[in-house]
Amino acid sequence: MTRADARTRSANWISRYNAPVALGILLVFGALVFDKFLTPLNLNAIAAQYAIIGFLALGQLLVILTEGIDLSQGSIVAFTSIVIATLMLDYPPGLAVAGGMIAATALGVVNGLLVSRTRIPAFIVTLGMLGIARGLALLISDANPISIEVDGFAVIGRGKVLGVPGSFLLFLAACLLIDWFLRTRRLGRHIYATGGSAENARLSGVNVRQVKLWVYTLSAFLTSIGAILWTSRLRSGSPIGASGYEFESIAAVIVGGGSLFGGAGTVLGTAAGVLIFGVINSCLNLAGISPYWQGTLKGILVLLAVALSQLRRSSGSNR
Amino acid sequence: MQATSMLDRIRSNSTFETHATGRILGVFVVLVTLASLISGGVFLQPNNLLNLGYQNIILLVVSLGQLLVILTGGIDLSVGAIHALCSVLIVLTQDYGLAGSLAVAAIASGLLGWINGLIVTYVRLPSFVVTLGIAQIAGSLATVISRGGTVYTGWGGAAIHPVLKAFYKQGLLGIPYPILFGLLVAGLFTLFFRTSFGHFMFAIGGNRRAAFLSGIPVRRIEMIAYILSAMIAGLSGALFVARVDLGDPQAGRWLALDSIAAVSIGGASLAGGTGTVLGTVLGVAILSVLNNIMNLVGVPPTLQPAVKGLVILLAVFLNSTRQRSS
Repeated sequence: MTRADARTRSANWISRYNAPVALGILLVFGALVFDKFLTPLNLNAIAAQYAIIGFLALGQLLVILTEGIDLSQGSIVAFTSIVIATLMLDYPPGLAVAGGMIAATALGVVNGLLVSRTRIPAFIVTLGMLGIARGLALLISDANPISIEVDGFAVIGRGKVLGVPGSFLLFLAACLLIDWFLRTRRLGRHIYATGGSAENARLSGVNVRQVKLWVYTLSAFLTSIGAILWTSRLRSGSPIGASGYEFESIAAVIVGGGSLFGGAGTVLGTAAGVLIFGVINSCLNLAGISPYWQGTLKGILVLLAVALSQLRRSSGSNR
Repeated sequence: MQATSMLDRIRSNSTFETHATGRILGVFVVLVTLASLISGGVFLQPNNLLNLGYQNIILLVVSLGQLLVILTGGIDLSVGAIHALCSVLIVLTQDYGLAGSLAVAAIASGLLGWINGLIVTYVRLPSFVVTLGIAQIAGSLATVISRGGTVYTGWGGAAIHPVLKAFYKQGLLGIPYPILFGLLVAGLFTLFFRTSFGHFMFAIGGNRRAAFLSGIPVRRIEMIAYILSAMIAGLSGALFVARVDLGDPQAGRWLALDSIAAVSIGGASLAGGTGTVLGTVLGVAILSVLNNIMNLVGVPPTLQPAVKGLVILLAVFLNSTRQRSS
């Protein structure tokens, strides 16, 4: 009995910290193998680039915690960037950015309403939204990128504070905020409860529909922040870019210990998952491996991570 | 006891499906009438209909493969990427002759489908994640071997086989090959669903556990559904090559979304166990007429992904409410 307990506890410890540990090992590996790895230039490039995926992954984490999935994130990034770039032509930058965030969040509300009020599976709802958001982006922009001439806007995605990319600091702040929110706020606890068992949560008085509405809305909201950073780095709105970003965010959550069956996953693990892919990406670049291979590697890694978490789950339930 | 209840289930299912197919046929007729009226009869001219057929043969065969997976209660998001990978592979392996290149495509796509099936049936992971992962891998491999661009000749410099080039330009007894091919595949699927194997597929989607307890080799049949879906998507890469004379890692970008839309419009439930060949064929036809109408009334083509997204949501929503009421 006690041995089984100890085993579960150690299993929990492993599942909680294996992503940060793996990140640490990868960092040491990168530093030992590649001379250029530990330079501020390289580290800042990883941080700035993966802060964007980081915001998407935080949104994806909230959704996956409730046993859902958000496949529309990549399209919503493109949609947001096009809305911002279009509004920027006529309105002050602040208003344009706010407009982009509101438009993206509205799409998240639609996702949330459809998932919580109808019987359509989440992956179909968000797959439909993947098409809709991409189509809207293509329609508004007439399938052409829209460049942004406002100089100050580039600062958001490219600026540095004390030598660290500002976007990465923003991502860290968001991590702390969401970690606090998930640990202590009522909605945060309800998100975990819904994912553990929606039926139990409902019977214990959790408004499961409202929780689901919230997570899809928040996912789109966080995605829109990622989209602002992305647009700012590109200095233009792009209707065809960011496709497949949802896969990267799902990958980060799963590698970070999240379960597709809901109820398991942490901000710490997710953030580590994001950076693991950042470091792997950087190592592949430094090793001169074609960026085309990276999709293959990412796909294999995710399938392995998902399969392992599932095998652990089923062996746990047998006991 | 078990046998009668199962027979009843199958019987009530088939009447349910006849009603559903009737309704879909109704929608199709309305859309065709609408298209003919808007276009002033141009829509019904043989040339236009033939063009529509040409444009949608790939979607038709891939949707029928998708139907197999959806019948078992799964979903295959990897068909587009596998299609793209095989279109590139087929062109690059033209040096080994037409049969050789098709064999390479069959092996590659069959292998990817086998991995899909293996992970879904034995590890019991949600099919959308598994097939999304395989889509990522296949799409990335397609860009690796094509170096990111379109390909026109084999590795050794061989040109695309003349049979492929002629496929969309010639026919038999006045019927173009692509149309014949589509009819052939739809016919084969209809026959397939009449075999015990086909019935097993419905049984698994209807109730996996009951199917297992009745002695149906559930895992093997699920595996076959994923392998067939992938191989059909892969071999239809040859149709793509035949149509545009090149291999493209971006081919079939919307194929997964489109095929799921076609199957859902055709009345199949995403929960598995219901769906017909005729419904799926009508689903593809409805999507293509809808596209044609949008072109006729001047809806910009850039909006089409959005319309497809809406159509999927609507079709799945209607299917789910209908099942609840029945």
